[in-house]
Amino acid sequence: MVFKWFDERLELKKFKEKFLSKTFPTHPLFLLGETALFSFITLVITGIFLGFLYEPSTKMVSLFGAMVPAAYASVVKIDLLPMGLIIRRIHHWSAMIMIAAVLAHLMRIYFTSAYRKPREINWLVGLSLWGTAMVAAFTGYLLPYSQFSVTATSIAYYMAKSVPWIGGWMSRLLFEGEFPSDGTVPRFFFMHVMLIPTVLIGLIGLHMFILVKQKHTEPHSNRDRREAQGGRRLIGIPIWPEQGVISLSFFLFLLFVVVLMATYIPLNPIETYGPPSPGTPVMRPDWYFLVVYGFLKLVPGNLSFTILGGKITPETIGGVIFPAFTFLVYALIPFLDRSKEPQHYMENPLHRPFMTSFGIGGGVFLCTLVVAGYIDVLHITPKAMTIYAILATAAAWSISYTLLRRYNGKRGNNVKA
Amino acid sequence: MVDGSAGGNGDKEGITRRRFALGMVIASLAGAFGSLFALLKVLAPEKKGGAYATTIQPGDGLVYAQGGNAGTPVVASSMKVGDAVLAYPSGKSSNPANLVQLIKLEEKAFEPPTDTLLTDQGFVAYSAICTHLGCTVSWVANQETPVVSYTECYCHNSIFNPAQGAKVMAGPAPIPLAQIGVKVMQDGTLAFTSNFNGPIGPQV
Repeated sequence: MVFKWFDERLELKKFKEKFLSKTFPTHPLFLLGETALFSFITLVITGIFLGFLYEPSTKMVSLFGAMVPAAYASVVKIDLLPMGLIIRRIHHWSAMIMIAAVLAHLMRIYFTSAYRKPREINWLVGLSLWGTAMVAAFTGYLLPYSQFSVTATSIAYYMAKSVPWIGGWMSRLLFEGEFPSDGTVPRFFFMHVMLIPTVLIGLIGLHMFILVKQKHTEPHSNRDRREAQGGRRLIGIPIWPEQGVISLSFFLFLLFVVVLMATYIPLNPIETYGPPSPGTPVMRPDWYFLVVYGFLKLVPGNLSFTILGGKITPETIGGVIFPAFTFLVYALIPFLDRSKEPQHYMENPLHRPFMTSFGIGGGVFLCTLVVAGYIDVLHITPKAMTIYAILATAAAWSISYTLLRRYNGKRGNNVKA
Repeated sequence: MVDGSAGGNGDKEGITRRRFALGMVIASLAGAFGSLFALLKVLAPEKKGGAYATTIQPGDGLVYAQGGNAGTPVVASSMKVGDAVLAYPSGKSSNPANLVQLIKLEEKAFEPPTDTLLTDQGFVAYSAICTHLGCTVSWVANQETPVVSYTECYCHNSIFNPAQGAKVMAGPAPIPLAQIGVKVMQDGTLAFTSNFNGPIGPQV
């Protein structure tokens, strides 16, 4: 009856027939993208709650007898509210889950070769989403303005400043003047709450629109079924009610996991970190930045030179060139793939020795950089760690490549890549 | 009359009215959007002197930077060999560029390039801002042989040797920490006797 009321005004029946009955192929791996989307929705909802209560200012106010920045005091007060602490933890945990899901989704697309024609555009949109999500996480980290937030932000300020030629201007634009500046918190608040969510929602919309237009890739098993026609006709379940109900219950399950984690596992305890003070504590960044952190520890201090008037320092190499190079490699992957035919099925990663071993080698390299972030507690020198990283990567790549080539040889499969 | 050239100016030469009008539109749009770039300068304000412009003057007294006695003058007799504290010039603690690490070692422990004229009774002071990415350096005290204690930045493990002019012994920092002169006064407190003898903070 409710449907009929809306249908008489909005022609919903046509929408129902055309869109809601579209086929959605099913496979457990397809839930990774949904995890990212649902954690984003959770972030928006909890973020709205936090935004009502947060004060984006560094002027000093009195909090239980001590003078602290107003932003810090407002977050401490949020933590004291009845639902405040758990909502803040859900917000932070959802951010961690979103970035983890985005990375897992990226790996799934890479290893099942779903980036091939015609989906190169969506691969690039996905990479932009990943970068924007990391910027969102970073700008959010400063907002509580605790000792840890300020340290992390000062490091990022100098990394931005170390970009040659435009670094000075770029860092002043992002951080409102030279660091530390009272304008940094309001500017980051604006970016985190208005600018970046707008970009994210736009990119997510584009990502899903292209997905619907090109149709989702199908599991390999569909390829052998008679009804499948190479992407022109999908085998799966309709969006409503079957897929819709599955997605909805998955969203609720994800909320359950996030709330469970938020209840029992604290994170970002700003009351323990304290407001900003002159000293710098022993701290490490959140896990998704550990790769850059480890790399920065390994770059020797005497690697400085000037090109065309632009200064390249160890900070540039570790904080700008390395991440930019990694992104570039990711972006080029669909264009270096040699297949010319459009692909609509998930490829078995075991059938592609070169790409799969390259992915494994790259993954091992990034993991050794995470370990490099801990050389102070592991008592390894930077030079030794660099050698271990190179050896481990070379070993992983060559061993996996050899094993995969032999596996494909036994299968009688002569594929080279 | 319908003919092929009605839609465009395909075979006409020179500047037609159509091309001129299009050129004017493009020029004015370019000018309008180009002028927006002027706004970018407003959004990226410059501070005079840059971020790490220190305001320490010779003669300023040293006060503790943190802890329960923050803001009170540093007492020279309270520090043993192998101790280090973070200190500010008196009254100028709001400028983070003024943060120094005051260290007590033995007088005979100093080697070049430490400027011994800037030390006094084993006290030496260096800038506390790591020259890598701006974190505050920390002190790693050696309990058995206090005189070989050293300065380390915990952000990316740069190690500086205070007995050798805060030279970079390991890690990604590009230059040593700058030294600044200190002297023990009559009343047991300390005061600065010079400016920094080198650049401070990240060198980007």
